[in-house]
Amino acid sequence: MSEAVEPSLELRERQNRFVSDHLRRIFAQIYRIVGNVADAQDLTQEAFIKALQRQEQLKDEQKAAHWLSRIATNTAIDFLRRSRRAAFVEMDVKAESQDESPEDLLLRSEQRDFLEDGLRLLTARERAALMLRDVEGLPAEEVARRLNCSKATVRSHIANARIKFRRYMEKRKA
Amino acid sequence: MTHPSESDLALYAGNDLGWFARRRAQHHLAGCRQCRDEVEGFASLRDELAGRNELPALSWNRLAAEMKANIRLGLAAGECVRGEPSGAALAWMGGGRAVAACASVMALLAAGLFIERPSPPAPQVTASDSAVLRATANGIELNQGGQTLSLLDGRSDKVTYSAGAQGSMRARYVDSDTGNVTINNVYVQ
Repeated sequence: MSEAVEPSLELRERQNRFVSDHLRRIFAQIYRIVGNVADAQDLTQEAFIKALQRQEQLKDEQKAAHWLSRIATNTAIDFLRRSRRAAFVEMDVKAESQDESPEDLLLRSEQRDFLEDGLRLLTARERAALMLRDVEGLPAEEVARRLNCSKATVRSHIANARIKFRRYMEKRKA
Repeated sequence: MTHPSESDLALYAGNDLGWFARRRAQHHLAGCRQCRDEVEGFASLRDELAGRNELPALSWNRLAAEMKANIRLGLAAGECVRGEPSGAALAWMGGGRAVAACASVMALLAAGLFIERPSPPAPQVTASDSAVLRATANGIELNQGGQTLSLLDGRSDKVTYSAGAQGSMRARYVDSDTGNVTINNVYVQ
Protein backbone atom coordinates (compact mmCIF):
# COMPACT_ATOMS: atom_id res chain seq x y z
CA MET A 1 0.00 0.00 0.00
CA SER A 2 1.39 3.37 -0.87
CA GLU A 3 2.11 5.91 1.90
CA ALA A 4 -0.25 8.47 0.41
CA VAL A 5 -3.24 6.17 0.89
CA GLU A 6 -2.69 5.38 4.58
CA PRO A 7 -3.84 8.64 6.26
CA SER A 8 -7.01 8.65 4.18
CA LEU A 9 -7.74 5.10 5.22
CA GLU A 10 -6.88 5.88 8.81
CA LEU A 11 -9.27 8.83 8.76
CA ARG A 12 -11.97 6.70 7.25
CA GLU A 13 -11.48 3.99 9.83
CA ARG A 14 -11.64 6.56 12.60
CA GLN A 15 -14.87 7.92 11.14
CA ASN A 16 -16.34 4.43 10.84
CA ARG A 17 -15.46 3.66 14.44
CA PHE A 18 -16.99 6.94 15.58
CA VAL A 19 -20.21 6.15 13.72
CA SER A 20 -20.35 2.59 15.08
CA ASP A 21 -19.70 3.73 18.65
CA HIS A 22 -22.46 6.32 18.71
CA LEU A 23 -25.01 5.31 16.08
CA ARG A 24 -27.52 3.56 18.31
CA ARG A 25 -27.37 6.19 21.05
CA ILE A 26 -27.88 9.06 18.63
CA PHE A 27 -30.64 7.27 16.76
CA ALA A 28 -32.48 6.61 20.05
CA GLN A 29 -32.01 10.20 21.16
CA ILE A 30 -33.45 11.57 17.93
CA TYR A 31 -36.22 8.98 17.83
CA ARG A 32 -37.42 10.08 21.27
CA ILE A 33 -37.74 13.65 20.05
CA VAL A 34 -39.26 13.14 16.60
CA GLY A 35 -41.24 10.00 17.41
CA ASN A 36 -40.89 7.97 14.25
CA VAL A 37 -38.28 5.69 12.76
CA ALA A 38 -38.08 6.98 9.20
CA ASP A 39 -37.43 10.59 10.24
CA ALA A 40 -35.09 9.49 13.02
CA GLN A 41 -33.07 7.56 10.45
CA ASP A 42 -32.73 10.55 8.11
CA LEU A 43 -31.89 12.93 10.93
CA THR A 44 -29.32 10.56 12.44
CA GLN A 45 -27.53 10.41 9.11
CA GLU A 46 -27.70 14.18 8.81
CA ALA A 47 -26.27 14.67 12.31
CA PHE A 48 -23.34 12.33 11.67
CA ILE A 49 -22.53 13.93 8.33
CA LYS A 50 -22.54 17.38 9.94
CA ALA A 51 -20.28 16.14 12.73
CA LEU A 52 -17.83 14.24 10.56
CA GLN A 53 -17.36 17.19 8.25
CA ARG A 54 -15.75 18.99 11.21
CA GLN A 55 -12.89 16.65 11.95
CA GLU A 56 -11.15 19.09 14.29
CA GLN A 57 -14.05 18.74 16.74
CA LEU A 58 -13.58 14.98 16.97
CA LYS A 59 -10.09 14.79 18.40
CA ASP A 60 -11.21 14.46 22.01
CA GLU A 61 -13.55 11.47 22.13
CA GLN A 62 -15.56 12.56 25.16
CA LYS A 63 -16.05 16.10 23.91
CA ALA A 64 -16.90 14.74 20.48
CA ALA A 65 -19.64 12.56 21.99
CA HIS A 66 -21.19 15.59 23.75
CA TRP A 67 -20.84 17.69 20.65
CA LEU A 68 -22.50 15.01 18.54
CA SER A 69 -25.40 14.85 21.01
CA ARG A 70 -25.89 18.59 20.70
CA ILE A 71 -25.89 18.39 16.93
CA ALA A 72 -28.41 15.54 17.11
CA THR A 73 -30.73 17.46 19.45
CA ASN A 74 -30.57 20.61 17.35
CA THR A 75 -31.08 18.69 14.12
CA ALA A 76 -34.21 17.07 15.59
CA ILE A 77 -35.54 20.39 16.92
CA ASP A 78 -34.95 22.12 13.58
CA PHE A 79 -36.79 19.31 11.88
CA LEU A 80 -39.79 19.59 14.20
CA ARG A 81 -39.90 23.35 13.68
CA ARG A 82 -39.73 22.95 9.93
CA SER A 83 -42.29 20.23 9.64
CA ARG A 84 -44.78 20.76 12.50
CA ARG A 85 -46.48 17.76 11.11
CA ALA A 86 -49.96 16.85 12.18
CA ALA A 87 -49.41 13.16 11.72
CA PHE A 88 -46.45 10.89 12.08
CA VAL A 89 -46.08 7.71 10.12
CA GLU A 90 -44.74 4.88 12.21
CA MET A 91 -43.28 1.62 11.02
CA ASP A 92 -45.41 -1.45 11.47
CA VAL A 93 -45.53 -2.53 15.06
CA LYS A 94 -44.10 -6.01 15.28
CA ALA A 95 -44.22 -8.51 18.09
CA GLU A 96 -41.23 -8.19 20.40
CA SER A 97 -41.59 -11.77 21.47
CA GLN A 98 -43.61 -14.74 20.35
CA ASP A 99 -45.61 -14.52 23.56
CA GLU A 100 -47.02 -11.14 22.56
CA SER A 101 -50.63 -11.55 21.50
CA PRO A 102 -52.37 -9.43 18.83
CA GLU A 103 -54.21 -7.70 21.69
CA ASP A 104 -50.89 -6.77 23.32
CA LEU A 105 -49.62 -5.45 20.00
CA LEU A 106 -52.69 -3.34 19.52
CA LEU A 107 -52.45 -2.02 23.06
CA ARG A 108 -48.80 -1.08 22.60
CA SER A 109 -49.58 0.64 19.33
CA GLU A 110 -52.44 2.59 20.93
CA GLN A 111 -50.24 3.64 23.86
CA ARG A 112 -47.62 4.93 21.45
CA ASP A 113 -50.23 6.90 19.49
CA PHE A 114 -51.64 8.25 22.73
CA LEU A 115 -48.23 9.53 23.81
CA GLU A 116 -47.52 10.97 20.38
CA ASP A 117 -50.75 12.95 20.36
CA GLY A 118 -49.82 14.52 23.69
CA LEU A 119 -46.25 15.31 22.71
CA ARG A 120 -47.45 17.00 19.56
CA LEU A 121 -49.02 19.71 21.70
CA LEU A 122 -45.58 20.82 22.87
CA THR A 123 -43.24 23.17 21.04
CA ALA A 124 -40.10 21.63 19.58
CA ARG A 125 -37.92 22.88 22.44
CA GLU A 126 -40.41 21.89 25.15
CA ARG A 127 -40.60 18.44 23.66
CA ALA A 128 -36.83 18.10 23.44
CA ALA A 129 -36.36 19.38 27.00
CA LEU A 130 -38.96 16.95 28.35
CA MET A 131 -37.42 13.99 26.53
CA LEU A 132 -33.90 14.81 27.61
CA ARG A 133 -34.88 15.42 31.25
CA ASP A 134 -37.66 12.91 31.94
CA VAL A 135 -36.88 10.11 29.51
CA GLU A 136 -33.10 10.24 29.16
CA GLY A 137 -32.72 11.46 32.75
CA LEU A 138 -30.13 14.13 31.97
CA PRO A 139 -29.59 16.84 34.63
CA ALA A 140 -31.06 20.25 33.81
CA GLU A 141 -27.56 21.70 33.31
CA GLU A 142 -26.83 19.18 30.58
CA VAL A 143 -30.22 19.78 28.95
CA ALA A 144 -29.38 23.50 28.93
CA ARG A 145 -26.05 22.77 27.23
CA ARG A 146 -27.72 20.57 24.64
CA LEU A 147 -30.36 23.19 23.87
CA ASN A 148 -27.83 26.00 24.03
CA CYS A 149 -29.84 28.06 26.50
CA SER A 150 -29.82 28.96 30.21
CA LYS A 151 -30.88 26.63 33.01
CA ALA A 152 -33.77 28.99 33.82
CA THR A 153 -35.04 28.69 30.26
CA VAL A 154 -34.78 24.93 30.44
CA ARG A 155 -36.78 24.90 33.68
CA SER A 156 -39.43 26.99 32.00
CA HIS A 157 -39.56 24.58 29.02
CA ILE A 158 -39.76 21.57 31.33
CA ALA A 159 -42.50 23.09 33.51
CA ASN A 160 -44.57 24.11 30.49
CA ALA A 161 -44.13 20.70 28.92
CA ARG A 162 -45.18 18.83 32.07
CA ILE A 163 -48.21 21.07 32.56
CA LYS A 164 -49.39 20.74 28.96
CA PHE A 165 -48.77 17.02 28.91
CA ARG A 166 -50.55 16.45 32.21
CA ARG A 167 -53.60 18.42 31.09
CA TYR A 168 -53.69 16.33 27.95
CA MET A 169 -53.51 13.10 29.95
CA GLU A 170 -56.28 14.20 32.30
CA LYS A 171 -58.49 15.25 29.42
CA ARG A 172 -57.99 11.99 27.55
CA LYS A 173 -58.54 9.85 30.62
CA ALA A 174 -61.66 11.72 31.69
CA MET B 1 -53.14 29.73 52.27
CA THR B 2 -51.08 30.63 49.20
CA HIS B 3 -50.36 27.61 47.06
CA PRO B 4 -47.17 27.26 45.03
CA SER B 5 -47.64 27.92 41.32
CA GLU B 6 -48.42 25.03 38.98
CA SER B 7 -44.99 25.50 37.38
CA ASP B 8 -43.28 25.15 40.75
CA LEU B 9 -45.21 21.97 41.50
CA ALA B 10 -44.33 20.58 38.07
CA LEU B 11 -40.65 21.31 38.71
CA TYR B 12 -40.80 20.01 42.28
CA ALA B 13 -42.12 16.67 41.00
CA GLY B 14 -39.02 16.23 38.87
CA ASN B 15 -36.59 17.57 41.50
CA ASP B 16 -35.88 20.59 39.31
CA LEU B 17 -36.51 23.40 41.78
CA GLY B 18 -33.67 25.39 43.32
CA TRP B 19 -32.80 24.79 46.96
CA PHE B 20 -34.81 27.67 48.49
CA ALA B 21 -37.86 27.17 46.32
CA ARG B 22 -37.73 23.47 47.07
CA ARG B 23 -37.64 24.01 50.86
CA ARG B 24 -40.55 26.44 50.58
CA ALA B 25 -42.57 23.94 48.53
CA GLN B 26 -41.76 21.10 50.93
CA HIS B 27 -42.99 23.15 53.85
CA HIS B 28 -46.24 23.87 52.04
CA LEU B 29 -46.78 20.32 50.84
CA ALA B 30 -46.49 18.97 54.37
CA GLY B 31 -49.82 20.61 55.14
CA CYS B 32 -51.63 20.67 51.77
CA ARG B 33 -53.23 17.52 50.42
CA GLN B 34 -54.38 19.22 47.21
CA CYS B 35 -50.85 20.23 46.21
CA ARG B 36 -49.48 16.79 47.13
CA ASP B 37 -51.96 15.26 44.69
CA GLU B 38 -50.82 17.74 42.04
CA VAL B 39 -47.20 16.73 42.58
CA GLU B 40 -48.13 13.04 42.40
CA GLY B 41 -49.91 13.69 39.12
CA PHE B 42 -46.81 15.30 37.65
CA ALA B 43 -44.57 12.54 38.98
CA SER B 44 -46.74 9.88 37.32
CA LEU B 45 -46.05 11.48 33.93
CA ARG B 46 -42.57 10.00 34.07
CA ASP B 47 -44.05 6.50 34.15
CA GLU B 48 -46.22 7.35 31.18
CA LEU B 49 -43.23 8.64 29.26
CA ALA B 50 -41.05 5.67 30.19
CA GLY B 51 -42.53 3.75 27.24
CA ARG B 52 -40.97 6.35 25.06
CA ASN B 53 -37.56 5.12 26.12
CA GLU B 54 -38.02 1.88 24.21
CA LEU B 55 -37.26 1.77 20.54
CA PRO B 56 -39.94 0.17 18.40
CA ALA B 57 -39.30 -3.37 17.22
CA LEU B 58 -37.08 -3.06 14.18
CA SER B 59 -34.23 -4.82 12.47
CA TRP B 60 -31.42 -2.78 13.97
CA ASN B 61 -28.57 -4.40 12.04
CA ARG B 62 -30.24 -3.66 8.75
CA LEU B 63 -31.12 -0.12 9.73
CA ALA B 64 -27.61 0.55 11.05
CA ALA B 65 -25.99 -0.81 7.87
CA GLU B 66 -28.24 1.41 5.78
CA MET B 67 -27.44 4.48 7.87
CA LYS B 68 -23.68 3.80 7.80
CA ALA B 69 -23.74 3.44 4.02
CA ASN B 70 -25.73 6.66 3.63
CA ILE B 71 -23.42 8.56 5.99
CA ARG B 72 -20.42 7.39 3.97
CA LEU B 73 -22.10 8.45 0.72
CA GLY B 74 -23.09 11.80 2.22
CA LEU B 75 -19.52 12.49 3.29
CA ALA B 76 -18.14 11.53 -0.11
CA ALA B 77 -20.68 13.78 -1.82
CA GLY B 78 -19.82 16.63 0.54
CA GLU B 79 -16.13 16.31 -0.24
CA CYS B 80 -16.85 16.42 -3.97
CA VAL B 81 -19.04 19.51 -3.64
CA ARG B 82 -16.59 21.36 -1.44
CA GLY B 83 -13.70 20.30 -3.66
CA GLU B 84 -11.33 20.44 -0.75
CA PRO B 85 -10.22 18.00 1.95
CA SER B 86 -11.41 18.33 5.55
CA GLY B 87 -9.46 20.39 8.08
CA ALA B 88 -7.64 17.45 9.64
CA ALA B 89 -6.78 16.00 6.27
CA LEU B 90 -5.54 19.39 5.12
CA ALA B 91 -3.34 19.74 8.20
CA TRP B 92 -1.86 16.36 7.51
CA MET B 93 -1.39 16.85 3.83
CA GLY B 94 0.33 20.19 3.83
CA GLY B 95 0.42 22.48 0.81
CA GLY B 96 1.99 20.15 -1.75
CA ARG B 97 -0.22 17.22 -0.92
CA ALA B 98 -3.38 19.32 -1.21
CA VAL B 99 -2.69 19.46 -4.92
CA ALA B 100 -2.52 15.69 -4.99
CA ALA B 101 -5.84 15.55 -3.13
CA CYS B 102 -7.51 17.83 -5.68
CA ALA B 103 -6.14 15.65 -8.44
CA SER B 104 -7.59 12.63 -6.65
CA VAL B 105 -11.03 14.26 -6.52
CA MET B 106 -10.83 15.02 -10.23
CA ALA B 107 -9.79 11.45 -10.89
CA LEU B 108 -12.74 10.23 -8.80
CA LEU B 109 -15.13 12.35 -10.81
CA ALA B 110 -13.60 11.05 -14.01
CA ALA B 111 -13.97 7.49 -12.74
CA GLY B 112 -17.62 8.21 -11.89
CA LEU B 113 -18.32 9.48 -15.41
CA PHE B 114 -16.53 6.49 -16.81
CA ILE B 115 -18.68 4.06 -14.82
CA GLU B 116 -21.93 5.83 -15.71
CA ARG B 117 -21.42 5.46 -19.49
CA PRO B 118 -24.24 3.50 -21.26
CA SER B 119 -22.13 0.43 -22.00
CA PRO B 120 -19.24 0.75 -19.64
CA PRO B 121 -16.30 -1.53 -19.76
CA ALA B 122 -15.50 -2.97 -16.34
CA PRO B 123 -13.81 -0.38 -14.09
CA GLN B 124 -10.20 -1.17 -13.53
CA VAL B 125 -7.56 0.24 -11.22
CA THR B 126 -3.85 -0.33 -11.71
CA ALA B 127 -1.85 0.57 -8.64
CA SER B 128 1.46 -0.72 -9.84
CA ASP B 129 2.95 -2.68 -12.73
CA SER B 130 1.97 -5.96 -11.19
CA ALA B 131 -1.38 -5.32 -9.40
CA VAL B 132 -4.66 -4.73 -11.25
CA LEU B 133 -8.08 -4.31 -9.65
CA ARG B 134 -11.18 -4.64 -11.77
CA ALA B 135 -14.90 -5.17 -11.56
CA THR B 136 -16.24 -8.31 -13.20
CA ALA B 137 -19.73 -9.72 -13.61
CA ASN B 138 -19.35 -11.59 -10.29
CA GLY B 139 -17.49 -9.13 -8.12
CA ILE B 140 -14.11 -7.47 -7.65
CA GLU B 141 -11.04 -9.22 -9.03
CA LEU B 142 -7.42 -8.58 -8.07
CA ASN B 143 -4.71 -9.79 -10.44
CA GLN B 144 -1.17 -9.76 -9.23
CA GLY B 145 1.87 -11.69 -10.44
CA GLY B 146 -0.26 -14.05 -12.53
CA GLN B 147 -2.53 -14.90 -9.60
CA THR B 148 -6.14 -13.85 -9.23
CA LEU B 149 -8.18 -13.18 -6.10
CA SER B 150 -11.93 -12.67 -6.50
CA LEU B 151 -14.32 -11.14 -3.97
CA LEU B 152 -17.73 -12.35 -5.08
CA ASP B 153 -20.81 -10.20 -4.60
CA GLY B 154 -23.92 -11.63 -2.92
CA ARG B 155 -27.27 -12.21 -4.52
CA SER B 156 -28.19 -8.93 -6.08
CA ASP B 157 -29.36 -7.79 -9.48
CA LYS B 158 -27.73 -4.41 -9.27
CA VAL B 159 -24.21 -3.82 -8.04
CA THR B 160 -22.67 -0.34 -8.16
CA TYR B 161 -18.93 -0.29 -8.68
CA SER B 162 -16.73 2.71 -8.16
CA ALA B 163 -13.01 3.05 -8.68
CA GLY B 164 -10.98 5.12 -6.22
CA ALA B 165 -8.18 7.32 -7.46
CA GLN B 166 -5.96 6.08 -4.66
CA GLY B 167 -6.01 2.50 -5.84
CA SER B 168 -9.25 1.09 -4.54
CA MET B 169 -12.40 -0.52 -5.89
CA ARG B 170 -15.79 -0.43 -4.19
CA ALA B 171 -18.82 -2.62 -4.79
CA ARG B 172 -22.13 -1.61 -3.21
CA TYR B 173 -25.26 -3.71 -3.43
CA VAL B 174 -28.46 -4.58 -1.65
CA ASP B 175 -29.11 -8.27 -1.05
CA SER B 176 -32.38 -8.99 -2.84
CA ASP B 177 -33.44 -11.55 -0.20
CA THR B 178 -32.51 -9.91 3.09
CA GLY B 179 -32.37 -6.25 2.07
CA ASN B 180 -28.93 -5.91 3.73
CA VAL B 181 -26.67 -3.27 2.26
CA THR B 182 -23.13 -4.52 1.64
CA ILE B 183 -20.16 -2.39 0.71
CA ASN B 184 -16.91 -4.08 -0.27
CA ASN B 185 -13.80 -1.96 -0.53
CA VAL B 186 -10.65 -3.49 -1.96
CA TYR B 187 -7.42 -1.54 -1.76
CA VAL B 188 -4.33 -2.35 -3.80
CA GLN B 189 -1.14 -2.51 -1.82
